[in-house]
Amino acid sequence: MTDEPKPQPTNPAVAPAKPVAAVPAALAKPISRADFLWTGWAMLAAFFGASAAATARFMFPNVIYEPSQKFNAGPAKGYDIGVSTKWLSEQRVWIIRNEKGIYALWARCTHLGCTPNWWGDQNRFKCPCHGSNYTIEGDVIAGPAPRPLWRAKVEISTKGDLIIDKAVLEDIPGKRENAPYFLTLA
Amino acid sequence: MPKLPTLEELKKEVIDSQIWRSVFRGGVWKDTPRDRSAHIIGNVWLHLHPVRVRKRALEWTYTWGLGGISFALFMILTVTGVLLMFYYRPTIDLAYRDIKDLEYAITLGKLMRNMHRWAAQAMVVGVIAHMVSVFLRGAYKKPREFNWSIGVLLLTLTLFLSFTGYLLPWDQLAIWAVTVGTNMAGATPLLGNEGPMGNLVGAHINNDVRFVLLGGTMVGENTLLRFYVMHCVAVPLVVGILLILHFWRIRKDSFSAAPYEPNEDKVEVWPHLVKREYIAAAACLLVMFIWSIWMNAPLEVIANPNVTPNPSKAPWYFVGLQELLVYFDPWIAGVVMPGLIIVGLMAIPYIDTNPKGVGYYAWSERKFANTGFMLGVTMWFVLIAIGYWFRGPNFFWYWPWESWLMIKAAPPLTWNVFGPNATWRLWCTPNLSAFPLWLGIPLVGGAGLASLVLPKLIQKELDGIKANLGVLGGLALIAVIMKLSPLHVSLVKGAWLIVFGWMHFYFGFLLPQRHIRALDWARYLVTMALVLSTTAVLLKMCARLAFDIKYVITIPALSMNI
Repeated sequence: MTDEPKPQPTNPAVAPAKPVAAVPAALAKPISRADFLWTGWAMLAAFFGASAAATARFMFPNVIYEPSQKFNAGPAKGYDIGVSTKWLSEQRVWIIRNEKGIYALWARCTHLGCTPNWWGDQNRFKCPCHGSNYTIEGDVIAGPAPRPLWRAKVEISTKGDLIIDKAVLEDIPGKRENAPYFLTLA
Repeated sequence: MPKLPTLEELKKEVIDSQIWRSVFRGGVWKDTPRDRSAHIIGNVWLHLHPVRVRKRALEWTYTWGLGGISFALFMILTVTGVLLMFYYRPTIDLAYRDIKDLEYAITLGKLMRNMHRWAAQAMVVGVIAHMVSVFLRGAYKKPREFNWSIGVLLLTLTLFLSFTGYLLPWDQLAIWAVTVGTNMAGATPLLGNEGPMGNLVGAHINNDVRFVLLGGTMVGENTLLRFYVMHCVAVPLVVGILLILHFWRIRKDSFSAAPYEPNEDKVEVWPHLVKREYIAAAACLLVMFIWSIWMNAPLEVIANPNVTPNPSKAPWYFVGLQELLVYFDPWIAGVVMPGLIIVGLMAIPYIDTNPKGVGYYAWSERKFANTGFMLGVTMWFVLIAIGYWFRGPNFFWYWPWESWLMIKAAPPLTWNVFGPNATWRLWCTPNLSAFPLWLGIPLVGGAGLASLVLPKLIQKELDGIKANLGVLGGLALIAVIMKLSPLHVSLVKGAWLIVFGWMHFYFGFLLPQRHIRALDWARYLVTMALVLSTTAVLLKMCARLAFDIKYVITIPALSMNI
């Protein structure tokens, strides 16, 4: 505390002869050994921190080689009223035809991602992993699943084939009953 | 013809040779205490032992050798694992075929795989039993707190090694266990794309913690490679480092926590302890051999990422967790609870201030600690038993004597107690709640807070018999009222309420009130938080199994469902 500038006693009668330019403290005195070392350690710590972050980033791949989420499910006319499990083992999708049209449910339980099975006699999907039950609409009626099954985007090609895109999903009642998640058929 | 040397002469010749003496130092072995000490000190492997050890620490019935047995199994796993690596290639196209080759085309391949599989399961049992035995002997207390915590980490890593190894055969068992396991990571609050508040901070399917584990958005080629590297290199390396720390600490903390007696006998570690270690390791190896010749490791059909076997079950030591996932949202059962178990176990030595019962089995002196810990361990194994023996197709409840071919009626519809869309009546239709959130948040929050602090605030010790009878009577009264009410709740459900409600009262209120109300607030609150999260599991199980309650309180906007 000794090298702090002492406050000058102000005397209003005597005008200051010349204002002394304030010298920044850092320039007034060379950096102390302790400060220098602390700065060094802090920079080293920052370097290690940044290295750790960079290493973590390294673990996130930029390009992944996974199958396309879009597929051709054949002619829309080929589906009768009810749940079709035709594409389940290849594309993990149920194609469901009702009186109004067609929608596609992504067969991934919203609880922890197992594939449920369709039980036609009880009119529900049941998951084999933790016992979640869904209606044909995809709504949860029993078990731990936190939200309804996802519906995938359904389009019809110029040839009349169903084109299903599992990368575009919707599960909110009201939205999921409209295009592109529902294909109205005459 | 020159005379042949006798066996004795030959032995002397070999031992006195420059080669032998350079490898095994020291003069002629006279089996003096000095020789025995020098043998421990002069050997890099053996010097993790002390030179002398108290006799009572060596009794089988004191430790059952469980720590040593766990380590012996780890060594068996290392050797068999390295051998398996010579034939196994971690790619989707080859992994399953290589396992099949190990089974049918490679001499002793099946035996090696069996031994690796069974030793892994035995090690899980060994490590858990080791932990229970250390706990019951109070051997985690000062000055061994930190070593207990390292032990908890080793238990966690043992389970993680099992989990990563589970994927490698690339069969149906593998892919679905790992799909479920990694989706739990995806439900982590903030860090997972399906977890509470995950979307708020920008977690997506291609940047969250699950994505890192999988190396993609689904269990695929990258996942297999990542799990392979973790299983064979990264995690064993960490386990090895922690094991050295663990052993070093044991040696520094005078090897055994057994209480001192005046003028106690000490014996040399060589041969008394080392001999026992060799016997235990040899017995482990023998048991693993016999087990592996007798039983084959399971292998299902090749993995299909689109179709799940029905039912699909986790490896047995995780089935308890799987059963928990039936009652709780993934972020609670899959992230918060395992986290609480690990952190809670590590915290035990720091919250248990009872100076009694260090180094010996002492039920009467450590009633609260032992009861609470054993309640947790028992629940873990009861949940495993339920998941393993009482769950059938669609993970539905099947009694062990019921055929899985029998199709069960659909499970009843579930409802929520507090949440949006309140209907102001009990037993509503699915996705609807009986009462609104503005009522539920203060009620549930208040009840939680009260259970947390009340045992400490009540200064006078409660009369156990009166309190128990009072609560049982009250619960019975509720059960009867529910039966007589227009809801006609069956008496069986009433009995569920009585049993589980009483357990919550006894373990979550009466015992803490009795034993830990004098603890300082910090330790008290941590202990109570752990105790209450245990008994809350019982309450939630009762709510789901007997009353079809899905959530006690649900705030969908935050994905916050309890």
